[in-house]
Amino acid sequence: MIEARGLTKTYGPSRGVSDISFSVGKGEIVGFLGPNGAGKTTTMRLLTGYLYPNDGDAVIEEMSILEKPKEAKRLIGYLPENNPLYEDLKVREYLDFRARVKGIKGREIKKKMDYVAERCSIGDVLEKLVGSCSKGYKQRIGIADALINDPPLLILDEPTQGLDPAQIHHTRELIKSLISDHTIILSTHILSEVEAICTRALLIHNGRLQFDGTLDAMKAELACQGRVKLTLLCDAEKGTALLSAIASIEKFEADKGAARKGTAFSITPGDSADIREEIFWKCFDERIPILEMGIEKQSLEEAFLLLTREEELEENP
Amino acid sequence: MNGVLAIIRKELSHYFFAPMAYIVMSSFMLINGFVFYIILAAMSRAQSPPVSPMAILFGGTFFFWLVAIVMIPVITMRLGAEERKQGTIETLLTAPLSDFEIVAGKFSAAFLFYFFCWALTGVYALVLRAYGKIDWGPVLSGYLGVLLLGMFFVSIGIFSTMISKNQIVAAIVSFAILTMLMGTTLLTFIMSGAGKEVFAYSDLLGVMENFAKGVVDTRNVIFLLSGTALFVALSVKALEAKRWQ
Repeated sequence: MIEARGLTKTYGPSRGVSDISFSVGKGEIVGFLGPNGAGKTTTMRLLTGYLYPNDGDAVIEEMSILEKPKEAKRLIGYLPENNPLYEDLKVREYLDFRARVKGIKGREIKKKMDYVAERCSIGDVLEKLVGSCSKGYKQRIGIADALINDPPLLILDEPTQGLDPAQIHHTRELIKSLISDHTIILSTHILSEVEAICTRALLIHNGRLQFDGTLDAMKAELACQGRVKLTLLCDAEKGTALLSAIASIEKFEADKGAARKGTAFSITPGDSADIREEIFWKCFDERIPILEMGIEKQSLEEAFLLLTREEELEENP
Repeated sequence: MNGVLAIIRKELSHYFFAPMAYIVMSSFMLINGFVFYIILAAMSRAQSPPVSPMAILFGGTFFFWLVAIVMIPVITMRLGAEERKQGTIETLLTAPLSDFEIVAGKFSAAFLFYFFCWALTGVYALVLRAYGKIDWGPVLSGYLGVLLLGMFFVSIGIFSTMISKNQIVAAIVSFAILTMLMGTTLLTFIMSGAGKEVFAYSDLLGVMENFAKGVVDTRNVIFLLSGTALFVALSVKALEAKRWQ
């Protein structure tokens, strides 16, 4: 459906994105994830042809956004960041204008308008000025605009930004209802949004693609790197001595009272290696029985923080 | 093409649904009406030379140029600057439109509005017709000159608004370019040789004088059209530059 091929955009020394490559298949709903300023908006602007890349290309159904911009843009419905609209037009006039700009013929406009008005539940504000609509309505007007020529691909840049919880809920429901007919790429810095809507996540940080895969894969990749919970049948001192002897442990602490029997430890591995085996053999040598050992389940939020933190460490050693 | 028409429709309805159009139009008619009255009053005196009043109206007075270099920045200043300021330029540049189509739409809308203002002065010709004989040739060529000059000036206004994020800045930039352009006429006084010829060629006052007399000189027509093409091309480049930012 859409393929980013080594998209690179530089704005001076630090900002921008470099070598972003991924492809999104038909019917997928992809969450574009990253902290603010990571390069999400820049990437979306490169995909939609608003900005030209310094290097690379975006290809939508075999059509390059640089070589055949008109044809490619016709396949994309785009909701830009902050959802800019002509505030001094009526909603109907705005959508009419957008439909015409996107090449819809006069007699088809009414049909399309009725369709998006129903789909986005904006039928009751069509005669109001865009500027007098609430933020939630404006967001739906922006999505209605993206939908008006029924494009196969929707690119939504932070569709729930700045909305109140009820509006966020409505907007998410609306996006979910579009999944069956459209391929969707949406960006957000809120993880729960990706968990709520998307099947796949792209994580971008400092202008680079850090991760591309399903949410489960993202969790799984991080699952072996988490903290180890360990309960040993011995007192705290003996356990501390044992764990101190293992070089690959970065730090650990005894969790007194956490276990009814023995002593519980929470261990942070030094590198990303799985240290459970090493702990087992050490305990075996010392003849200390292991009552319990496992890796702490991480929330996506923690995984996200971990991934982005690692990158920072790499860049500023 | 549909996209261009959509932009023209939107911008024209924006002119006419806002008080701006009526303020510009009534100021324009007030000033031109005043000037026309003075011309008629002066010419009805016995000793005045036998020149058509319309010929003086087209570029023959200081007011004509003053109105042109103030009015055109005012009608063009919003067209690009406001899109940048509101961010709506992003929706426009990601729509299936070429940069040229966007500029063509904005240019045409402003030009049509300018055309409409001048069309209102057609009443003056009808007034003259009612009270005496009128030679339609110079009147028509005068209008042709006004329209060609308008195209050139509007293209400068469009260029200024395409490079600005603020309407006032856009107006000042186009006002400055238009004033400088008028100023080139003065260079003919201090230059000699080839330079003098070049600037004589771009002497807008002389160009309009020809049209008002009924002389349609292809050199004048080509000068105004090529000037328009230059600034339209620059406007398209200004939009494209935005994408490389």
